Amino acid sequence: MRLTKIILSFISAVAILFSMSATSFAKVVGNKIVLGAAVSLTGKYSSNGVHTQNGYNMAVDRINSMGGIKVGGKTYKFEIIYYDDESNPKRAAQLAERLISQDGVQFMLGPYSSGLTKAMAPVTEKYGVPMVEANGASRSLFTKGYKYLFAVLAPANLYLDVAIKTAVELNGGKGVKVAMAFEQDAFSQDVRLGILDAIKETGSTKVIDDKLPKELNDMAATLVKVKQMKPDVLVVSGHTKGALTAIRQIAEMKVDVPMLAMTHCDAAKLSKQHGKNSQYALCASQWHKTLTYKDNFFKDGMTYDADFNKMFGYAPPYQAAESSAALLVFKDAFERANSFDQKKVRDALAATDMQTFYGNIKFAPGGQNVSKPMVLFQVMCDAAGKCENKVVAPLKWASAKLIHPVPKWSER
Amino acid sequence: MSKNNLILYAAILIFGLAAPFIFPAFKVQLSILCVLIVLAITWNIQGGEMGYNSFGNILFYGLGMYLCASVQVGMFFPLAEWTESGGEKTFVHTPVQFFQGMAVGLVVAAVVPTIVAGLIGYSILGLRGHYFAICTLGLGVAAGEISGGIEIIGAGQGFTTPPFPNIGSLEARGEFFYFLSFFTLVLTFIAVRSIYSTRFKLILNAIRDNEDKAEAMGIETMKYKIIGWMISAFFCGLAGGIMGGLVGYIDSTDVAFDGREMGVFMVLMAILGGKGTLWGPIIGATVFHIFKEGFWTFFLGWQYVALGVLIVVIVIYFPEGIMGWLREKYPERFGEIVDEKDRKAQVELK
Repeated sequence: MRLTKIILSFISAVAILFSMSATSFAKVVGNKIVLGAAVSLTGKYSSNGVHTQNGYNMAVDRINSMGGIKVGGKTYKFEIIYYDDESNPKRAAQLAERLISQDGVQFMLGPYSSGLTKAMAPVTEKYGVPMVEANGASRSLFTKGYKYLFAVLAPANLYLDVAIKTAVELNGGKGVKVAMAFEQDAFSQDVRLGILDAIKETGSTKVIDDKLPKELNDMAATLVKVKQMKPDVLVVSGHTKGALTAIRQIAEMKVDVPMLAMTHCDAAKLSKQHGKNSQYALCASQWHKTLTYKDNFFKDGMTYDADFNKMFGYAPPYQAAESSAALLVFKDAFERANSFDQKKVRDALAATDMQTFYGNIKFAPGGQNVSKPMVLFQVMCDAAGKCENKVVAPLKWASAKLIHPVPKWSER
Repeated sequence: MSKNNLILYAAILIFGLAAPFIFPAFKVQLSILCVLIVLAITWNIQGGEMGYNSFGNILFYGLGMYLCASVQVGMFFPLAEWTESGGEKTFVHTPVQFFQGMAVGLVVAAVVPTIVAGLIGYSILGLRGHYFAICTLGLGVAAGEISGGIEIIGAGQGFTTPPFPNIGSLEARGEFFYFLSFFTLVLTFIAVRSIYSTRFKLILNAIRDNEDKAEAMGIETMKYKIIGWMISAFFCGLAGGIMGGLVGYIDSTDVAFDGREMGVFMVLMAILGGKGTLWGPIIGATVFHIFKEGFWTFFLGWQYVALGVLIVVIVIYFPEGIMGWLREKYPERFGEIVDEKDRKAQVELK
């Protein structure tokens, strides 16, 4: 039977193909430290994936041009191998495996979003590969006992609880009615948990608790309910698309709510895309350019903002800033460890205690950054329609006073 | 079985057993390849042989994935606390617990989807053609949305499957999952091959070629259609269970009920290789997987465009799949006797 021959030759062809592509290049080659990263270049997180990548690239450029990393008396430069995880956890887990076992990467940077980080962490942990991640905030990442995972950002449950507490404070300490709409993903669901805790703590009540689909393009059903129930606070979280959809439909449907709290306003470039419609939206942010943190590489937030703008043509959202910070952390750890031994670098990372333009970084035993508070900013527009994000809480950083309650659409 | 066939199977078996040691860096990709082949073979049972194009097999795959992981956790620890999003407790499986849980989990992951296939098959296999395809498409989407709301399996937070215990070397995990998926593949192949050598396959083909006529001849088509789908579901569930452990993280719509990717891929692989053949889905899945991995490396950010071009090329140049194309090109190698004169005469008549 000749078919046998066809199949046999096919198998050998496959074998040859596999063996040819098995080129493995190691972590530290010559004067380069190769880091691996899977980011979302396509799929539902693609815009934030690009912010992440730009943040990484900017820091690599800056660190390399300012003398690189000194380990054992030799100077090294950073290089990153990127893959596209397509915003898909299955793909992300495969890519982590691929970066480590095929590309020989020994140090990793995180992907965008909690879900993808959750998929990659078991793999990096298994191989003892230190991973500094800047975009996985879900609390459940830090309760799994991972030893090689470090996050430069504050956990997700702390994103918006401040908003609820502020609303209660402005209500004279009495509980408020809260409407919530969250996307079905690890990050947003964790933000939801934070809100639930805050509701419990302040004696508030939840009047709407909706789950939104992942490809979030329509939340009219929730908004109709909001119109009926008249809550004091509306909380929406669903990455960039969630923020854009919420603002678009709230404006279209003229939904009046005294406080609108969201995430991802700056990543979605809300004030630019929706102008005055986005006015008064209250947003949780890991970073804002006006914060007065400093470091030697990017100087401060304002300088970072200007340099990033020059390099990529848009204002950096916090996703980019925290990604840049991840590389500063790695550089610092390499130099303190003075070695490329994964265990030593891991220990150096765990002992990190530094200030960057993005904020202070010090890791708790679970790997989350505990020394950096979240900030809340509000989108504020002037008469000419030029909108800007201004920090309103915590008071230490505030550059403007919170406008509350939000004026009704009929009065705008 | 002819001698040639024996040599072929022995060669493949040896290649399969040696593969993780020849290409140690590719264990995960090879494991996924085995799972993909299983999915393509099982899709082919009702998609290729029976002519019922299902987009719903992803339902069984996802179900198997969630079931296997849930059983593996639930047998030893409280499942609700494991998946609780803010969960503060850390549970660790001992090696014995891990493997016991996995074994029981895989059995459940295979059996339950089979029963589900029987139940829903009874109600929807009465639909034909496009109506059946659309209906099954809905099944997968609905399952994804529903599972995304069930708290005990993690809902939108996702479900982290038990980490592989610390035994042996770093390679242990990869080797375990590779051999698990490879043996599942072998099992599937043997099962499907023996099924294909019985009257059952002829009945499925009869249903595909003309269901009414088959019924008129006294075949209880409904019964066979359901059985065919149940066989598919059995192996799909098994594949899902393995994949869940391999990926390590289950998300309702992106990993488990991933109709947009896996659900479409299994159809695509079967068609690429040639549906309605035994080897077609295997070749299709292998070619597809290699191309896909290649595109992901060389066309970063454009991989789906490249994949799209590949699909267009397949549809235009290989509408019958690789096996169909080979068959047309070298009919004598498939045991078909070609009377050249007769063939020419036919061509000239047209």
